[in-house]
Amino acid sequence: MPEIFSEGFFPNMNLQDETNWATDFVRDVIIPRLPEAVAGHFSVELGTVLVMLVCAGIFVAVVPLLPLVLVLAERKVAARFQNRTGPMRVGPWGTLQTLADGIKLIFKEDYIPPQGDKLLFLLAPYIIFACSFAVFAAIPFGQNILVSDFNIGIFYIMAISSVIVMGVIMAGWSSNSKWSLLGSLRSAAQIVSYEIPLGLSILTVVMLVESLGMRDIVNSQSGGIFTWLIFRTPFTFIAFFIFFISSIAEVNRTPFDLPEAESEIVAGFHTEYSGMRFALFFIAEYANMFAVSAIAVTLFLGGYEGVLPGYDFLGGFPGFVIKTLGLVFLMMWLRWTLPRLRVDQLMNLCWKYFIPISFFNILGTGIWGLIFKKDDVWSIGISCAIIYVGLISAYAIAGRNLARKPEPQPS
Amino acid sequence: MDKYIRNIYKGVYTVLVGMRVTIRQFFEPNVTHQYPYEHDFEKKQNVREIPKGYRGQLYNRIEDCIGCKKCELICPVDCIMITGDKLPKGEQLWDSMNVVHFKDGREVIGIIEGDDKKIMSEDSMTITNITTRLGPQEVIDRLESSGDENRTETFTTDEVSRVVTRNPVVFYLDQFDIDMSLCMYCGLCTEVCPTQCLVMKDSLEGIEYSSFDRTDLIFNFDKQEMYEKGEAENTEAAD
Repeated sequence: MPEIFSEGFFPNMNLQDETNWATDFVRDVIIPRLPEAVAGHFSVELGTVLVMLVCAGIFVAVVPLLPLVLVLAERKVAARFQNRTGPMRVGPWGTLQTLADGIKLIFKEDYIPPQGDKLLFLLAPYIIFACSFAVFAAIPFGQNILVSDFNIGIFYIMAISSVIVMGVIMAGWSSNSKWSLLGSLRSAAQIVSYEIPLGLSILTVVMLVESLGMRDIVNSQSGGIFTWLIFRTPFTFIAFFIFFISSIAEVNRTPFDLPEAESEIVAGFHTEYSGMRFALFFIAEYANMFAVSAIAVTLFLGGYEGVLPGYDFLGGFPGFVIKTLGLVFLMMWLRWTLPRLRVDQLMNLCWKYFIPISFFNILGTGIWGLIFKKDDVWSIGISCAIIYVGLISAYAIAGRNLARKPEPQPS
Repeated sequence: MDKYIRNIYKGVYTVLVGMRVTIRQFFEPNVTHQYPYEHDFEKKQNVREIPKGYRGQLYNRIEDCIGCKKCELICPVDCIMITGDKLPKGEQLWDSMNVVHFKDGREVIGIIEGDDKKIMSEDSMTITNITTRLGPQEVIDRLESSGDENRTETFTTDEVSRVVTRNPVVFYLDQFDIDMSLCMYCGLCTEVCPTQCLVMKDSLEGIEYSSFDRTDLIFNFDKQEMYEKGEAENTEAAD
């Protein structure tokens, strides 16, 4: 066995671990099937590395197909909201439209601004692309569909998705364009601001679960819909919405799309990009959109755990994808409802509303944790009752408001 | 503090009101008209029919054209090109015939028995030597399938809207071309036409004639085979 595959070279891989699925797979399935002449020279460690590389290859090949579907979905949903049909000509019902767009982008000229910073310009899309795909490594799609189960999963996701803003600033700066620079500065301000409520909302979850590992977070919600973290305390209920809205701001979507506001600064930080580099930005944007929805599902909506304990309804891999696509649809729905915010409104929302409420949530969750024991049935009941009463009273006030002020009829 | 909470409440409430509006639109039927593939205008309420008198593509019924070249003269952009010559003296392409216009849009071309000036005051008319029938396709199909070989039909005068006499053509048109890529759709040529054979189509055909080649937009209305047939008949008659 070559020395480089000893424990020291891959300290985190823990090849002696009995639960490592890749090692098991190699030892139980591959080695017995090999011809005897080869088997003698084939070590379990080398096989593990090869299997992991193959799996990574499959992952890297499959995940970019996700934006392909999401872009089409976005266009179709947008069209439905405007009573249109969307793309209809390429393939049946326009289903191959994004493929055609992708092929078009490959053939387009890859223009590099001569006055810009060439190295940064070339590097920026790869940073954004790589970071938004690295997030997928820690998302548990199902019980056994998880690339890597870190003990610091959610922390890793927070860290790696913060690097995206660096790519955005690099793209904006190196383009040597006013629009790009303005867009990237806006993006920096926005993403850095909204990281705070995002992190604080995650913190409420982490306080309840007492772990940063993604699989631990999901496993703590295995008792049906009322043990999902969104219903565990009234504070996580609020935290879910803060998390979701902040993550919309994180991925630069309407109503928080100031960094790429078409009507103000052309396309923001990717104004000067063309061809395949632009496609990388585009793919990364939609991958991000899916990723933040998946994280929201994992943290608050039970991940791959179903609605009922013991039954697989809305559970497992299909359930996870359905819940995630539901949140993606919610994002699209919001996009076609709300107009773009002003910069001061954006900052108001974050610093004056989300951050104080998030701190209040953390305080509340801490007190809740002191009062009730972990996984206390009473705590879940009381929490659901509080959420129910809150929603009902809000609805009642809304009804009174509606009765008092009828909408003005067009004359 | 009161204002702060009221502000949050207002924000959430207005967003929900907006979302209710958009989700209603989501389930509305779409208004898209897949135009080149979908032609039935009745199906979609939002698409209007082409109005009568719409200035569409120019069309010349060459059978009625007398080659007066008034349209060529008046055309502001010179998009009509006519060349033609008189036939030798004494020759004509056909005998005079009548075009009977019916109230339901049909046209029958033949020769009316009796005096065509006074025919409308009588109860019925008989048309012999019917050469052409124009009109709705199903009417023509019915007549074709009924197999009237003798080319003679009798109609009641109530059906008929008007009778036009088509005089024998003594003018031979070599070329009657209209370049629709130049046409400015002023409609002057249709107004000066004395036989009203030059018209602008106010149907879908008058709109859908786009092509990938500009030369396809030059429409030739000269029917050489018609003249040849007429000449052949004349020579037969002479023999």
